[in-house]
Amino acid sequence: MKNRLRVLRAEKNWSQADLAERLEVSRQSVNAIETGKFDPSLPLAFRLARLFEMTIEQIFSDDASS
Amino acid sequence: MWCTRSAAERVYLARTLVSMSIYVLVTAVVSWIFAHRHPQGALVYLLAVLPTLPIFAVIASLGKYLVEEKDEFVRTVLVQCSLWATAVVLAFATCLGSLQKYVPSLNKSAGLQNYWVFVVWFLAFAAAQPLVRRRYK
Repeated sequence: MKNRLRVLRAEKNWSQADLAERLEVSRQSVNAIETGKFDPSLPLAFRLARLFEMTIEQIFSDDASS
Repeated sequence: MWCTRSAAERVYLARTLVSMSIYVLVTAVVSWIFAHRHPQGALVYLLAVLPTLPIFAVIASLGKYLVEEKDEFVRTVLVQCSLWATAVVLAFATCLGSLQKYVPSLNKSAGLQNYWVFVVWFLAFAAAQPLVRRRYK
């Protein structure tokens, strides 16, 4: 699954550690999600969407739909 | 940061450290009793099983950690490491069993004792962690 997390995080001027702290996950979790190697669960995807004040679809896109 | 530990991981490490300390102590005491007091009857069974109880606690604490860890990525890594460790132990035990069956010089007495299974599992679990984590870097 592709995502715009790295761009969105950069726009907020947050490091991976900053985002991890806000999400209450480890920095390696943020890194794994950003690189598309780990797909977050629906609750974590909702937490991300709320944090960036966006919908999940605005952050994540299915490989099949792109 | 890779070295940052969650609250659940700190509790897990503390539980494991306590259990392993008890294991070492109980094993030493039981070994001394068998060497010097030569227990008889049901006491032999009780004493022989006693050192395994802290190992059950280590297994339980790992299970509890998997439940208590809030970071789903860390949980995923741990589950994958557990599966790798289980695969290693199954392959190892199958291979060893076959060797013991067909190689006359490797009979049961020359083979590995069953209580080493957990040690092999735990070593494989630890060894799998950097390998599994590398896949997500």
